[in-house]
Amino acid sequence: MIAYVVRRALVAVLLVFAVSSASLVLTRLAPGDFVTESLGTHASREAMERMRERYGLNKSIAQQYRDWLAAAVRLDFGYSLQYDRPVRELIPERAANTAILAVTALGLATVIGLPLGVLSGSRRSGALAALVRAASVVLLSMPPLLTSLFLVFVAARTGWFPIGGMSSAAVTGGGALLDLVHHLVVPAAAVGLPLAAMLERLQAQATTDVIGEPFVLATLARGVPYSRVVWRDALKPALRPVASVYGLIVGTLLSGSFAVEVITAWPGLGKLMLDALRARDVFLVAGCAGTGAIFLAFGTLFSDLILGLVDPRARE
Amino acid sequence: MRTLRAFVVITVLVSAATACRARDRATPAGGTAPVRGGELVVSVRTDPQSFNWFTKRDGTTQLVTYLTQARAVRVNRVTQETEPWLAEGWTRSEDGRRYTLTLRPGIAFADGQPFTSADVVFSADAAYDEASVIADGVMVGGKRLQMTAADPRTVVITFPEPFGPGLRILDNLPIMPKHRLEPTLRAGAFGRAWGVGAPVDEVTGLGPFVLAEYVPGQRIVFTRNPRYFRKDANGVQLPYLDRVVVQIVSDQDAEVLRLQAGQVDMSGAEIRPEDYAPLRRAADAGRVQLLDLGVTYDPDSLWFNLKPGAFGGDPRAAWLQRDELRQAISLAVDRKAFVDTVFLGAAVPVWGPVTSSNKKWYSADLPHPPYDPARARQLLASIGLTDRNGDGVLEDAHGAPARFTLLTQKGITSLERGAAVIRDDLKKVGLVVDVVPLEGNTVVKSFLVDQQYDAVYFRVGTTETDPASNADYWLSSGGSHVWNLAQKTPATPWERRIDEMMARQIAALDDGERKRLFDEVQKVFAEHLPVINFAAARIYVATSTRVTNLTPTLLRPMLLWSPDTIAVKH
Amino acid sequence: MRANSRTVGIAIVSVAAAIVFAAPALAPRPIDARFPGALNAPPTVPHVRDDDGAWHAPFIYPWTLANRLEQRYEQDRSVRVPLAWFENGHVVQSSDETRAPLLWLGTDTYGRDVFSRLVFGARVSLGLALAAALGSMIIGALVGGVAGYAGGITDDVLMRLTDFVMVLPGMYVALALRAVLPLVLPAEVVFALLAVIFAVVGAPFIARGVRAIVRSERTLDYAVAAEALGASPARLLIRHLLPSTRGFMAVEITLLVPAFIVAEATLSYVGLGFPDPTASWGTMLRDASNIRAFADFPWLLSPAVAMFVVVLGLNLAVQNQRAHGTIL
Repeated sequence: MIAYVVRRALVAVLLVFAVSSASLVLTRLAPGDFVTESLGTHASREAMERMRERYGLNKSIAQQYRDWLAAAVRLDFGYSLQYDRPVRELIPERAANTAILAVTALGLATVIGLPLGVLSGSRRSGALAALVRAASVVLLSMPPLLTSLFLVFVAARTGWFPIGGMSSAAVTGGGALLDLVHHLVVPAAAVGLPLAAMLERLQAQATTDVIGEPFVLATLARGVPYSRVVWRDALKPALRPVASVYGLIVGTLLSGSFAVEVITAWPGLGKLMLDALRARDVFLVAGCAGTGAIFLAFGTLFSDLILGLVDPRARE
Repeated sequence: MRTLRAFVVITVLVSAATACRARDRATPAGGTAPVRGGELVVSVRTDPQSFNWFTKRDGTTQLVTYLTQARAVRVNRVTQETEPWLAEGWTRSEDGRRYTLTLRPGIAFADGQPFTSADVVFSADAAYDEASVIADGVMVGGKRLQMTAADPRTVVITFPEPFGPGLRILDNLPIMPKHRLEPTLRAGAFGRAWGVGAPVDEVTGLGPFVLAEYVPGQRIVFTRNPRYFRKDANGVQLPYLDRVVVQIVSDQDAEVLRLQAGQVDMSGAEIRPEDYAPLRRAADAGRVQLLDLGVTYDPDSLWFNLKPGAFGGDPRAAWLQRDELRQAISLAVDRKAFVDTVFLGAAVPVWGPVTSSNKKWYSADLPHPPYDPARARQLLASIGLTDRNGDGVLEDAHGAPARFTLLTQKGITSLERGAAVIRDDLKKVGLVVDVVPLEGNTVVKSFLVDQQYDAVYFRVGTTETDPASNADYWLSSGGSHVWNLAQKTPATPWERRIDEMMARQIAALDDGERKRLFDEVQKVFAEHLPVINFAAARIYVATSTRVTNLTPTLLRPMLLWSPDTIAVKH
Repeated sequence: MRANSRTVGIAIVSVAAAIVFAAPALAPRPIDARFPGALNAPPTVPHVRDDDGAWHAPFIYPWTLANRLEQRYEQDRSVRVPLAWFENGHVVQSSDETRAPLLWLGTDTYGRDVFSRLVFGARVSLGLALAAALGSMIIGALVGGVAGYAGGITDDVLMRLTDFVMVLPGMYVALALRAVLPLVLPAEVVFALLAVIFAVVGAPFIARGVRAIVRSERTLDYAVAAEALGASPARLLIRHLLPSTRGFMAVEITLLVPAFIVAEATLSYVGLGFPDPTASWGTMLRDASNIRAFADFPWLLSPAVAMFVVVLGLNLAVQNQRAHGTIL
């Protein structure tokens, strides 16, 4: 078991470096660079060349990569071209914000999605199952941009929730937590509701599959009430597909959702990543991709561990 | 079907929720004179990249500079004239190359350190530092200004050559504190000074506000500078506001929603045409003020790649770089319909890069040829493009269709709509245009770096109304001379003429002479049309009803260029 | 009962397919037809009774511009424009297409007919999404099946490879591709390129799920028995193990199709999309993602409704039926 985890951790490190390197190279290959983006038509050729030299953008891709790698093994991931701050400082700041959102959204999604999935999958009540399915499909087919915009629009019209942002300016001390929760509702709903829909669909399908198995028939034949069978005996095997993607979901959530973060002005990692790409901020891009890789590697490991717990047949 | 019913139920529930309207904020009655006190909330699109204007030129850093720093001489955006600011007056030598500034007495930085001429000289040194990106704005003809501190209240500025705009150039130089930044400048680390990671009390200046707090990704908070040097006409110490909170809201829709809800007082930039209607409704309901600032200084621009040899062996080179093609295109586009379709009527047709809002430099004598597709076809025929096979598309002598690619920026509605209108209008005269919307960075790279493109439709921004400050655009050697950048020698006779006239215009000291020369430049430009301009948008800004005493102008930041005189009602 | 919902699903998908096939006839005009005087105009609703109560053949009232900047329109109820049926190869059009066009779903911000773009866009978006989803499923099933079956090193290597594909942000690849590809790409090339990219990007999620299922199914009696009887790994995989992933795949289609439609719009933003004026649901929705659409121009959101209907149909049609139907 320990050996397994250690092996996976080593592979994860390798994965992180591979992804960061690929991102750095790809960003250099992309058209334009930081200098054209920030100075554009407002500067002379000399000023642009000077800036390129200052940021090291006039080096070849191979040279820049080698320099970056040499520093990275010493855990120095370079400076962001946009903000002139070490990437090492910039990312954890934003990642923490995204983590708060991710955990809340995941909690919301699990609490709503899984039980509803079991309910609609066991098809106890036809009307409820149809309603839940319709709601899930609505949430799944709406683009995240549209969902966030709709929720922000509702927040603006009703005035119940702040129109974006993570905190209010003049709140300190004890009120800060309440203020945070108040600001969390809309973004967490924007991320959590579609996720709940996905979990519900997966769980419903899995529940339906399991209830069709012989052992369920046998248990019912013994006289065990149906709801007991659904929530006790059939639950563990029915959790298998969700468990297999759960860690993955955690990993993806921690990388942030760009659409939600932009519309709700949540200062998270997703927005940082895409802004870095737009600005061709090569080191920040590599750092963000690497961070995403860390989260995902952790996520898949977590996933495989849960899977082992839930399904003994799948254990090593 | 059950699922359909379910869907309807959901829709009804949601509609019921959104029917509850937000509480209407009653507008308080205000007096006529601005009152001291209160807080202003501003929204900007991005985080600042630095607190040091010398190293980063993004919009938010610019706003921070307007709030915390001051200049020796300021250009009043409303009157377009220079006015004394930190300097209380100046004299100019006979040959116009030396200015002697007298600084106001008894001024101190926000941290208490007295302000002297040494700070002005230091700021110039910093501007010319390797790490600075504003050097071009404080240079004349590529050469530095010489600044000396004759005594603690006097600065002598020597220009390397005669410069018409004169002290307007100092509007580009915020005065930085020598006592704080000199060590880093000497150590060669100025590029990292006052970055966004710096502690807020390190940033000090002579401006009306002081940086109080920065929460990354969320907001920047400024408080009043108690040592600010200005008073209003009644002797009231400026600024009027106690606090300015700059919120970072990256989505423009969210910003409009906040404006309507009264959670934000103003934005750092103008509103989009599509936001006009909801804000008009909000203004009619008394929740916002909508201000019409007039026509922008920057019209849209369509230009072709006029670099000699850019098209190599491509047979289209015979007509793609000809003046007649551009003149024909200018005649083939119906500008009135353009204004209606692209800007929903909120724009004016233009025929040159200088718009009527630029009162000092606009030339009303330029020809405004009306929409004339027949004449356009004649011009195209004169360079060998006629419809030889009756398919509605023009062909050249070899039978190849008259077709070119037009790059434009994705995500800017007015540019994408404009490109679509141009494409459709040119189709009517037989020219086929492939519109390729690309990410902004990619477009800029194509024409600035690679210089590999057929034509571009873009908006080239100007930061100053005086053409001498935009010399890079007019001069053939300039880096913003977009149709053929940074030429060693002028490629065409008319570009040489423009170069000569602009050189004289920049050096001349007499305003009348400068205007005459620039009118001539615009005339040559209109004849050869290296850039075709179609329309200039009207600029609208929206603020909450609490804000008073505004001095709106067309250059960004429209309202916050003069933050010390903005006031709010209580 | 259960057969009923499945039939409904198949019916929906068939209707969608029919609409896609019959697009040129159903759409009153081509996708790039613009009405410069009618930007964001509301739908023209056909009437059969006029204001005096008299009955007529179906007709519409034309829109007149009330305020250009606010994009407000008023119905001109003094003019009745009858509809023209089965002319010019279209099922139905207005008899005065230039001044009083028939707009089932109004116009968009460029003055183009939303209904025509919706119907033609279905070809592009659904075609791409389904082709890519199919590709994802094939790749994912193969990779996940082999990994789940073989176990050990093969499993590890394959899963880490899928991790790499999953974590590498697609946008970076897309932007780099943009640099090396020519500026103007024909629509077919873009279609093929996007289908391949999406198939590769969507495969890892399927691979993981399939692998988990195969790994546990493999230890079940029926699989062991088949193996003992001499079934080759390939046969075991395809005939016995993969079918048990059917339920999972059904859900995955529901997730992937809308995700691909939206992703096409995102890639189009970096320049890797279909050339103008190709219509696609993804870009239509992206253009409609602003508060004005919610507040004033809700017809712009019709692709979202269309997407919901199609995805629902797919979900109903592909779902796994329970083996024992009569217990409950």
